[in-house]
Amino acid sequence: MLDRPLAPPPVEVIVAVTQALHREARLLDNEDLDGWLAMLGKDVSYRLELKSRRFRADRSPPLPLGPGVIFNEDLGRLKMRVDRLKSGFVWAEDPPNYIRRAVSNVEVLANQADNEVRVHSVLVMHRNRIDGTTRLLTAGRTDRWRSEGSCWLLASRDIVLDHSVMPDSNLNAFF
Amino acid sequence: MNDNIADLVDSRTGRQSRSIYASEDIYRQELERIFGRCWLFLVHTSQIPKPGDYFRTFMGEDDVIVIRQKDGSIKAFLNSCTHRGNRICRADRGNARAFTCNYHGWSFSPDGALAGVPLESEAYFGELDRTKFGLIPVTKVAEYKGLVFGCWDANSPSLDDYLGDAKFFLDVWLDAMPGGSALLGETQKMVLGTNWKLPVENVCGDGYHLGWAHAGAMAAVQSMDLTGLSVGNSGVDLDGGLSVAGMNGHMVLSALDGVSGYAFYPDPKPILEYLEANRQTVIDRLGEVRGRQVWGAQVNITIFPNLQLLPGLNWFRVYHPKGPTQIEQWTWAMAENDMPEAVKAQILENQCLTFGLAGLFDNDDGDNLTACTEQSRGWRTAQMDVYTNMALGRSGKREGFPGDIASGLVSEHNQRYFYRRWQEHMMAETWAEVPTYNINSLTDEEAEHA
Ligand code: FES
Ligand SMILES: [Fe+2]
Repeated sequence: MLDRPLAPPPVEVIVAVTQALHREARLLDNEDLDGWLAMLGKDVSYRLELKSRRFRADRSPPLPLGPGVIFNEDLGRLKMRVDRLKSGFVWAEDPPNYIRRAVSNVEVLANQADNEVRVHSVLVMHRNRIDGTTRLLTAGRTDRWRSEGSCWLLASRDIVLDHSVMPDSNLNAFF
Repeated sequence: MNDNIADLVDSRTGRQSRSIYASEDIYRQELERIFGRCWLFLVHTSQIPKPGDYFRTFMGEDDVIVIRQKDGSIKAFLNSCTHRGNRICRADRGNARAFTCNYHGWSFSPDGALAGVPLESEAYFGELDRTKFGLIPVTKVAEYKGLVFGCWDANSPSLDDYLGDAKFFLDVWLDAMPGGSALLGETQKMVLGTNWKLPVENVCGDGYHLGWAHAGAMAAVQSMDLTGLSVGNSGVDLDGGLSVAGMNGHMVLSALDGVSGYAFYPDPKPILEYLEANRQTVIDRLGEVRGRQVWGAQVNITIFPNLQLLPGLNWFRVYHPKGPTQIEQWTWAMAENDMPEAVKAQILENQCLTFGLAGLFDNDDGDNLTACTEQSRGWRTAQMDVYTNMALGRSGKREGFPGDIASGLVSEHNQRYFYRRWQEHMMAETWAEVPTYNINSLTDEEAEHA
């Protein structure tokens, strides 16, 4: 735990990181996946764990090997997913789905490392699919962003998805 | 209705009427004659290890809660209060000493007994016979080597007889190693706008779609050969695998190389080392054929009607119907308990990568199944037929294996048996009218030498 609270990051940092979140969402919406990969740190960790609905008072121990994941990606694995999407073989994405991300509730907080910030945000993903129906996915995200040279790179992202049953037939999309 | 059912499927020609994927009437009859009659998978014993552990699932559309008892046995009940019918347990899983209804506070102990009724003496004047209001038990619950099944029909065959010769293949997963098996991780749940039979059909026999529908995923992660199947459906080796059916409606696809189950692991090395280190043990337990050729190979096992387990890709799945054109698909990773922890962790990881909610392969199937369902709902399409007529009449006995067997993983042999079984159940008024068959069953002597 911290000895004393960290001073809040300078306004310029808050603005720059918030802009990075918006830019990231736009690149993903436009399927500029290489542009998105370029916003990720080399050591990026991108995770979304599975969960179950449990009573508040439930006393059962954690599962032996953990809950399992929807995403547990490093840069290599994210590149592999991007390569698959770009392979021309992913029929579920052709014609393209209409997809739009709204980023909100952004909080930029200081982190121990000087060149890093912690960032909470909410992502709402609107997907109007090939079948004409619309799925709305919401997720909370806790990130670390790191300043490298003139830009901010995503160092880690922990995603919490707000659906106990995935309401869509695929997740060919990044949060 | 029965005349109609006789027309809907012709397993000799591989024909199905598209109405079976969308009709509300047919679906209602399925809930009665298939989900109300067959043994349905409830839980793996590894998911509720301790007394009081419970797991919520469905039998057809009936919400069911499965509970480990004090004496270690397992009971299952309708998750519905016997007072006014409210849902009792709203959690997916957990551990509990009692289940208390939200509505008026009746509480039930893990053995289903009505244990507490608020204002029992004041408002019921002590006249309520609690013994008549316990939770409604699932008629029969039985276990086969870790897999717990439930059945509503008192006249069903035993679970052992129901599984029949499918046990020959189930054992390759459940009993290859002395430690048995376990399911890993939380339940991966997805809603899909498909009729429940289409995903079953897809996995029970359809090796044909792999190289085409999953071309992008294969290109991304394939590290070894799987019976010659290749990106873009440009090749296949029919001698490399078997399509096995004719076992009471259960079906198996199996490669025969003892390793290809792990072909879709980017780094299969640790698992291949585990296989080689334990190969002799498995041969000693299951014989040459299963120990050398099947254990470690890609195997798709379908237990009629809605359970599928895939040694190799190591996923385990049930489909819960939610109306004629919707399902919830529930998936877990599965491992052998004798595997080193690192191998189990890799299996959980790779199952999530390939057939999880963002699975590279799984994400290819949903839209196809959904669209096949939608294309059965039109005024014109509902009158039309579809066919599973690949390799008709090309099946028979294969040395060392039970079942009616066609060559290769690419064949529509298994699908025809699936729809045949579906029709047999749908036409039968009672279990007594449902035929039992285990074609080319191995004799004791054959089994010993297998
Ligand atoms: S409905 Fe459950 S206590 Fe009344
Ligand atoms: Fe598939």
